[in-house]
Amino acid sequence: MSTQTPTPAPAAVSTDVIVETRNLGKIYRDFWGRKKVQALKSLDIEIRRGEIFGLLGPNGSGKSTTIKLMLGLLFPTSGRAFVFGKEATDVAKNERIGYLPEESYLYKFLNAEETLDFYGRLFDMPASVRRERAAELIQRVGLQRHRRRQLREYSKGMTRRIGLAQALINEPEFLVLDEPTTGLDPIGTKEMKDLILKLRDEGKTILLCSHQLADVQDVCDRVAILHQGELKEAGRVDALLKVQDVTQIHAKGLSEEAKSKIREIIQQSNSELLKMDNPTTTMEELFLDIVQQSEQRPGARSVGASN
Amino acid sequence: MRLEPNQFWTYWEWAFDQRGFLYGGILALILAVLGFLVGYIVATIKHGPAEGFLVVAKIIGQLFTADLPKMSPRRIFAMAKLSFKEALRSRVLVVVAVFVVAIMFAGWFIDPKSDNPAQLYIPTVLFLTNMLVLLMGLFLSTFSIPRDISSKIIYTMVTKPVRPTEIFLGRVFGMIAVGTLTVSIFGLLSYVFITRGLQHTHEIEVMPTDTVAGQTTTYRLHSHTFTLDEQGEGVTDVVKGHRHIVKKVGDKLVVSSQIGDLEARNPIYGKLRFTGRDGEDSEGINVGSISEYLKYVEGDTLSSAIFTFTNVPKDLFENSVTFDMTLDAFRTYKGDIVTPVGGIYFFRSLDGAVETERFGFKVKEGVIDQKTIALDLKSVDGKDINFFTDIAPEGSFELVIRCTDRGQYLGMAQADLYLRAKEKSFEWNFTKGFISIWLQMCIVICFGVMFSTFLSGPVAIVATLSVIVLGMFGWFLDDLTSGELPGGGPVEALIRLPLQSGSVSELDLGSPVVENTIRAIDKGILFSVGLLKNALPNLYDLGTTEFVTYGVNLFEGLLARHLTIAFGYFVMTSIISYFFLKTREMAG
Repeated sequence: MSTQTPTPAPAAVSTDVIVETRNLGKIYRDFWGRKKVQALKSLDIEIRRGEIFGLLGPNGSGKSTTIKLMLGLLFPTSGRAFVFGKEATDVAKNERIGYLPEESYLYKFLNAEETLDFYGRLFDMPASVRRERAAELIQRVGLQRHRRRQLREYSKGMTRRIGLAQALINEPEFLVLDEPTTGLDPIGTKEMKDLILKLRDEGKTILLCSHQLADVQDVCDRVAILHQGELKEAGRVDALLKVQDVTQIHAKGLSEEAKSKIREIIQQSNSELLKMDNPTTTMEELFLDIVQQSEQRPGARSVGASN
Repeated sequence: MRLEPNQFWTYWEWAFDQRGFLYGGILALILAVLGFLVGYIVATIKHGPAEGFLVVAKIIGQLFTADLPKMSPRRIFAMAKLSFKEALRSRVLVVVAVFVVAIMFAGWFIDPKSDNPAQLYIPTVLFLTNMLVLLMGLFLSTFSIPRDISSKIIYTMVTKPVRPTEIFLGRVFGMIAVGTLTVSIFGLLSYVFITRGLQHTHEIEVMPTDTVAGQTTTYRLHSHTFTLDEQGEGVTDVVKGHRHIVKKVGDKLVVSSQIGDLEARNPIYGKLRFTGRDGEDSEGINVGSISEYLKYVEGDTLSSAIFTFTNVPKDLFENSVTFDMTLDAFRTYKGDIVTPVGGIYFFRSLDGAVETERFGFKVKEGVIDQKTIALDLKSVDGKDINFFTDIAPEGSFELVIRCTDRGQYLGMAQADLYLRAKEKSFEWNFTKGFISIWLQMCIVICFGVMFSTFLSGPVAIVATLSVIVLGMFGWFLDDLTSGELPGGGPVEALIRLPLQSGSVSELDLGSPVVENTIRAIDKGILFSVGLLKNALPNLYDLGTTEFVTYGVNLFEGLLARHLTIAFGYFVMTSIISYFFLKTREMAG
């Protein structure tokens, strides 16, 4: 997987709707047909072409149920789900979909090449196209050295990568990623996020379901937050996260005198100074920086912020 | 081996005259109506009567508008290849090792004193193959889809453009490919085991002279006698189902390997009719419950058994006409018990104008008695005639058998006498025997995969095992559902048990209403069981081990019939599986 600097920029989202749910609901029943749990209640959402849509919520909030209903793995108890304008249960829609489940559910006795060849055949791809796509995807997810190893020998991170490759085998227009960064180390996580943004830039629509709120914040254009099977909030990430009555100033090389003047100005304007200190980097940035330095200067101890 | 009348039918006789296609169609129709009703009831419970109907209609419509026409051979091949790899990588071929070990030890249990060792070797390997292949099919077919569902691998599969029909077909074809590989390996190993197990020769113990027949050494508890012709060649007598060729090479006599023990007799059966003691047509004499199957002719009367052969190809007979018969004798008095009951046979033209001389014989009960007559022979009035010119100019003629001992009877059925045309290849007959086993395996795989589309692995195993058991022992159910077994049906039997009522006595509960109600319930249960039994494959009938074991060429028509039946079950299980896969929530 190639590393690149993330350039998160809001997508030019079109009004073309890829996924639409109308009053979508799901009740799980036991063997005797008795109601066990209402996993989803009257969900109305739209996912538009070219955006990264995040589905958030705690465990049991209905995220996985929503994804499964969109993919036709479950049938709705009420309401309907449409993907590319077709019923979610229509097999034909799958031609344009890629799906990475939360665990990479793949045949462990196959190797990476065989796995991609198998899924390529399921898309009715000719042999030459399958070979080309498989080679390209193995390269893209960084598994060239392991392409002949059976998946049972793969680490969790490698399994996620081959899982992602199988989801991309048909160059899907709509990609459903369920917990894509689970099991990945920080470098792998960053690479995955870069790749998601790149795919968005290539024009793909992505539905991302994750517990990693930082990841969602980093890559998603819009999010929907579910709790106890109900939609609680939906909208653009930047709009939802913006704190309207707080102002943030970032400056470099400010002297103590300048800082005092700023404090005074705030006081004079009858405003409240909440905080003025040096910002901290994130653990992710620190880690990635150290690894990068280590790769550039093997053997030398890295010079970090602690010094 | 005694053939059943239905085994004589040609493919077209079975399909049309015996209404094989019609009955198959009726069964398919009943299943379709039942399936629709069950589907509609389930859909009604979920969606209400009107929407439920639409749901069922939509699923049926999609089968014909999308899921069948839009199937992709490449996807089916992908699934099949996956199943094949999955099976091989889960070391399914261990079953071959089990087979090898089993046949290695099987030799210990084959009785060397047997009159015909080939008839022990052949059923041993066929039985072993049959059991192992069916068990393999059972385990392979019932676990793959449930395992995909429980491990959730099915998520990544059904979110691709894969149709339910393709999942079923891919799985079935893949497993059949594994089964085919296994059956082929078993076939090759079996052939080597049989031929090497039977192969032997002898040395010369007694040199033949003009007055004394030669004798071979004793090996494997038998020896042969032989005489030589002027060219110094001869054939030994038949012992333990085989003979040897003895040839003079230089000053020495060389005995060849055994021949004739692995054969595929090519029988041509005639139609059998009987005449009574006055020579008029009759149904043959029934001697009672000793044998319902056989009909008898009375001794020293005009009572005859007449086998009519039609359109027998001339080129199948080069220098002589050979036929085999296995007759039964029914004695009304003991008399000289050592001397077998006697009879005569002769041939005559279809119009009865020409009859050959009479040939006498003594009945060899329970043994195939082979008779050979030259093509040039005498007529009944002593004229020289030719078999094909005078008796069977169009290849059609009659063979008449009579009993010559007053008060004794000769019994036979259609299968008990047949002309022996040029022998067929044993290897091809052996292969056909394995094809029959392969067909049984295919049916088991279809049922296994079908059950696995809606049951968990262990439950699917039990269900498929039930199909195998019912299929193998269907004859028992035939007896049971006929209602003629003493003791009544299941409810009546249950009541008889605590009452300690004998099964042959009438059920007496003191109330005719109660007794009749019990009988009616039993009738209903037995009818349902009969219906179920008829819907399930009769694996017992599909078995053709006896043909190979007893060296009778397995009719291609019979094999084609079995192929058609297997195909019918394939279609049935495909359709049922389609509906279950289509309506199943894979993540449910």
